[in-house]
Amino acid sequence: MSTTTIEIKTALDTMLKPNPHVGKQSSVEVTDYNNRQTVGKITVDHPKMICRGVNVYYGEKHALKNVGIDIGANEVIAFIGPSGCGKSTFLRCLNRMNDTIPVCRVVGQIKLDNDDIYDKSIDVVQLRARVGMVFQKPNPFPKSIYENVAYGPRIHGMVNTKPELDDLVRASLERAGLIKEVEKRLEEPGTSLSGGQQQRLCIARAIAVDPEVILMDEPCSALDPIATAKIEELIDELREKYTIVIVTHSMQQAARVSQRTAYFHLGDLIEVGETDQIFTNPKHKLTEDYITGRFG
Amino acid sequence: MNKPSDSAAPDFRNRDIKTIVNAGLKRRHAAERRFRWYGLIAISLGLAFVALMFGNIISKGYPAFWQTYVQLPIRFDPTVIDPEGHHDPKAIESADYAALVRAGLRDLFPAVQGRTELRALYDLVSSDAAYELRSRVIANPALIGTSQEVWLLASATVDTLVKGNIDRTLDETERPIKDNQVGWIDKLQASGKIEKQFNTILFTGGDSREPEQAGIRGALMGSFYTLLITFLLSFPMGVATAVYLEEFAPKNRWTDLIEVNINNLAAVPSIVFGLLGLAVFINFFGLPRSAPLVGGLVLSLMTLPVIIIAGRAALTSVPPSIREAALGMGASKLQMVGHHVLPLAMPGMLTGAIIGMARALGESAPLLMIGMVAFIVDVPKGLMDPATVLPVQIYLWADLPERAFVERTSAAIMVLLAFMVLMNGLAIILRKRFERRW
Amino acid sequence: MAISHDAHTVKQFDLQLANLRNLVLEMGGLVEDQIKRAIKALDEEDMTAAREVIARDRLINGMQVKIDEDCISLIALRQPVSSDLRTVMALFNTVSELERIGDGTKKVARMTIQIYDGVSSPPSARLLRDVTPMAELAAEMLHNGLDALVRLDVEKALHIIRSDDDLDQEFQSALRRLITYMMEDSRTIGHAINVIFIIKALERIGDHCKNIAEHIVYLVEGKNIQQRRNLDMSLATFAQEKQQEQQP
Repeated sequence: MSTTTIEIKTALDTMLKPNPHVGKQSSVEVTDYNNRQTVGKITVDHPKMICRGVNVYYGEKHALKNVGIDIGANEVIAFIGPSGCGKSTFLRCLNRMNDTIPVCRVVGQIKLDNDDIYDKSIDVVQLRARVGMVFQKPNPFPKSIYENVAYGPRIHGMVNTKPELDDLVRASLERAGLIKEVEKRLEEPGTSLSGGQQQRLCIARAIAVDPEVILMDEPCSALDPIATAKIEELIDELREKYTIVIVTHSMQQAARVSQRTAYFHLGDLIEVGETDQIFTNPKHKLTEDYITGRFG
Repeated sequence: MNKPSDSAAPDFRNRDIKTIVNAGLKRRHAAERRFRWYGLIAISLGLAFVALMFGNIISKGYPAFWQTYVQLPIRFDPTVIDPEGHHDPKAIESADYAALVRAGLRDLFPAVQGRTELRALYDLVSSDAAYELRSRVIANPALIGTSQEVWLLASATVDTLVKGNIDRTLDETERPIKDNQVGWIDKLQASGKIEKQFNTILFTGGDSREPEQAGIRGALMGSFYTLLITFLLSFPMGVATAVYLEEFAPKNRWTDLIEVNINNLAAVPSIVFGLLGLAVFINFFGLPRSAPLVGGLVLSLMTLPVIIIAGRAALTSVPPSIREAALGMGASKLQMVGHHVLPLAMPGMLTGAIIGMARALGESAPLLMIGMVAFIVDVPKGLMDPATVLPVQIYLWADLPERAFVERTSAAIMVLLAFMVLMNGLAIILRKRFERRW
Repeated sequence: MAISHDAHTVKQFDLQLANLRNLVLEMGGLVEDQIKRAIKALDEEDMTAAREVIARDRLINGMQVKIDEDCISLIALRQPVSSDLRTVMALFNTVSELERIGDGTKKVARMTIQIYDGVSSPPSARLLRDVTPMAELAAEMLHNGLDALVRLDVEKALHIIRSDDDLDQEFQSALRRLITYMMEDSRTIGHAINVIFIIKALERIGDHCKNIAEHIVYLVEGKNIQQRRNLDMSLATFAQEKQQEQQP
């Protein structure tokens, strides 16, 4: 056995061992659960959101264990993992949608730019204007298309005059790639649109308040492949302006739209990495097993 | 094939699945047919009873919408109406119009002599006839001194006879009408001086001891005022409670307790609410008896749980995705409820409220306790006037022995049922019209 | 990252992958056999055997087409990712390397026919002296490569990569020797050129085996160590990168 081989062997061995350095990157004390650490680089150069030591409890159940991850500005980051792995829970922590669940308790630090979003000085209304959300099932309000988009700007008092509001609605629909389809029927109910159009209407509604981050909770799970492709194309376009966090059950979708991917498993953040790396050469066996379809 | 699992069910191995299924098929179909028959029988029985009830009520109540009138030649004798000739309104008002009626009757039957005979003759016409003449004269004083053929309200016994509800073959002593009266009526009928006209008094008159003069207007107005109070109190309160409990209240032992109590309250017998109203509103707060205000308060108590329960059901039926959408947009909780949830739940809430109101409309027991059962002739003009309500009126009339009241009771029931059907129909229309589909 | 050996949830996927791997190994066995036959034909001056080798190359080409189709349908239908994707890609690439090795054996066989065509006198034994050891080394490299593929043995693969250097050196010295012979005696030039073609083919076979070994390393490690000029340097960077990964 030559020296080169031994070198590689050692390198391999160290690589496969749990990495003691990952946890030390964060300023928050990271506890080690079952000797399990997040594999991969959790930090980014230009973070939009910084999450450290996030734990979520549903009553007695420890739903999310010590998650630490950065979400970079203008990136699309995908959260993947089997059902009940905590990815949606974590997503909902990012705009405090978990506040609506009485038994849910969130511990840890989540920063949007430099504001701790769980700080008392941050109002949840303001936060949700900055961190918009698109849900799994297209859920337009049972009102006109126009009213759907105008709702956010209206409640936040973003515009003063009707022409301004008209412009904003049109601009939002345009950015959501919906304007051509609905231009002549702005007064028709939002629910009269097709599923894919409804979802894009929801995206238009979310971007109408000009958020900094858009959270998407399985936005295409109720859509056909063509509508899905349109949404994915839209996500790619929106990346220029917004930071997008997407939870998806479709690994192909994560691979297609995201730059970084985070794999969750039973409440642990197992691995974070460039999407390319996660899908060609994941470092953790659990990630590997999940994305190659060997799970469970 | 020597595995033990195979030997466990050897029969099925050798038999065709088709034969196995076919063997049991007949039985299954028979069971299905039987069940369908049970359902049909139950429904037809129910429908039969409904038809019976309606048939009975309508056949009994229908004649009440017609009233017998007698045409009398009335001479508006100035010596009787206006003996001093001043055209003094007061004098005209207090004149003895009954004398004119009596004179008219005597003119028709000049042969009738003697006190008893004459009284029997006078009894053919209702005491209302005098009031009718008076109002005509007051409306048109030019009538004084003229002679007119006037249609006047016949008495209830005449009405009953004309409608064929008195057995003429009975002995004179056993029926409410004497032989000579029957004779006069026949004569009048032969000469076309007796006629049935639409009974407007039923809808315009208050309660009365005389069946031909009794109407349901007082009861209708009483019901209207009572329900007005009930709606104004219970709907906003019920909606507010439902919204608070469903959307805002923390889920803990206290709210659970409140929930259980509301559900129990909906099941409390209505008479208990009457007792409560008597004790609290009348005895403690000193509100007047028989007033629609008190009735409304009591019925509010009764309707409130129904509205709350219906309201909560309507709120829970609003999909959570709408709530999430609103919250996700940064709407505050009140904005979420006010802008999205409540408008969507409103048809359901209104339906619940209308059904609760329909129930309140048909309620009589609690109102008996607070004195709305009194005999009240005047049509109530406000919330504090003594009044009665439609179901109580029915109850009162049902107690009276006169044949004419029997048909009026049925007529009142028909009116009540019509209102019920109307309200339920409104509820259905509201639900169909405004219900959003998601 | 080691390759997961757990079964896929979709059993059919496992079956297809195993099937693909077996086909590749079968093809590898065929190619290995071809090398041996070609060398034997050369050693024994057996023209019939050489012709047989040429004819059998069609078999190998046919297998390549079949395996390529399987790979493509597997990618299209199963959309493999991570180690599955790397496996399919490594097998796909290995197959084309094997096909080229097959071409190499064909070339050896063709040269055999040319050398012993009966027109010119047979070459002297010293001209062919280097052929057999080189052929044995190449055959061993292929054998080890297939073995490493079966076991996903990175160490063995790295060993192959290094033995390619030996083969290259053999080739260089053989070439020098043949040049010397040609300079000494110009009559040997005709045969010597033929022998050069043979050893060049063997050297190429070694290169293809090295490529197979690199595909195996990629399959197992997810690291591409191809296209680096100096093997030692590339292996050193490979090790270095791994260390960097742990200390970002």
